[in-house]
Amino acid sequence: MTPPLFILLCSGEHEKIQMAAMTASVAAVSDRPVEVFVSMNALAVFRKDVDGQRYSGGNFSKVMKERNVPDAIELFGQGKMLGEMKIFACSMALDVAQMELDDLVEDLVDDAGGLTKFLSDAESGQLIVF
Amino acid sequence: MSERTTIDARGAFCPGPLMELIATLKLVEIGDEIDVLSSDKGSAIDIPAWVEKVKHEMVGIEEEGDFWHIVVRKIK
Repeated sequence: MTPPLFILLCSGEHEKIQMAAMTASVAAVSDRPVEVFVSMNALAVFRKDVDGQRYSGGNFSKVMKERNVPDAIELFGQGKMLGEMKIFACSMALDVAQMELDDLVEDLVDDAGGLTKFLSDAESGQLIVF
Repeated sequence: MSERTTIDARGAFCPGPLMELIATLKLVEIGDEIDVLSSDKGSAIDIPAWVEKVKHEMVGIEEEGDFWHIVVRKIK
C-alpha cells in the first residue's frame, strides 16, 4: 500500500476543485488511501442545495462546463465508492458559515473534523493544498 | 470461458474513462477482458499506467481513427 495522500482543499475556484477531485479520485483508485479536508470557500461547493451554478471560476472553468468534463462532486463520490477515501468538513468553517453537516451533499462528507487532527494524520503521508 | 465487455467512453475527459473501467472491473469475472473506447489522449497513457500499478494486465492498445481501443484483462 502506498503512503496516504492528504488534500487540503480551501479554494472555491472551479479549476482547483476540479484538480483536487481528479487527484483525490485517481489516487484512491490507485491503491492509495486519501483524506480530504474541506475548508474556507471550498465548503460552499459541497452544499446540498446550491442557488444557480455549483462551480465558478476563470476561463478554464468556462471551457470545462462547455465540454464533457466529469463533475467534480461526482468524481469525489466515485473515488469514495471505488477506492479508500474519507472527506472531512472543517468544523471551524462550518461554524463560521453557520452550516451543518446536513447542509452538505449526502453520502459524500464523512464527518466534521478539526485541522489539528488532520495535520497530525498527514504526518504519515504527503499533503497537497488546493 | 472469458468474456469481453466494451465500454464506450468516447467524448469523456480524464479521468472519466479510467473511472468507467474501474467500475466495470468490479462487475466482471477474473480473466474477463474490457475494451475501453476512448477519444481522450491522456487516458491512452494513463490507463496502461494504472493497470501496471494495480497489477491487472494490458491485452493491447490500438488507435482506430479518432479514438483508442484500450483492452484490459482482470487478473485479481
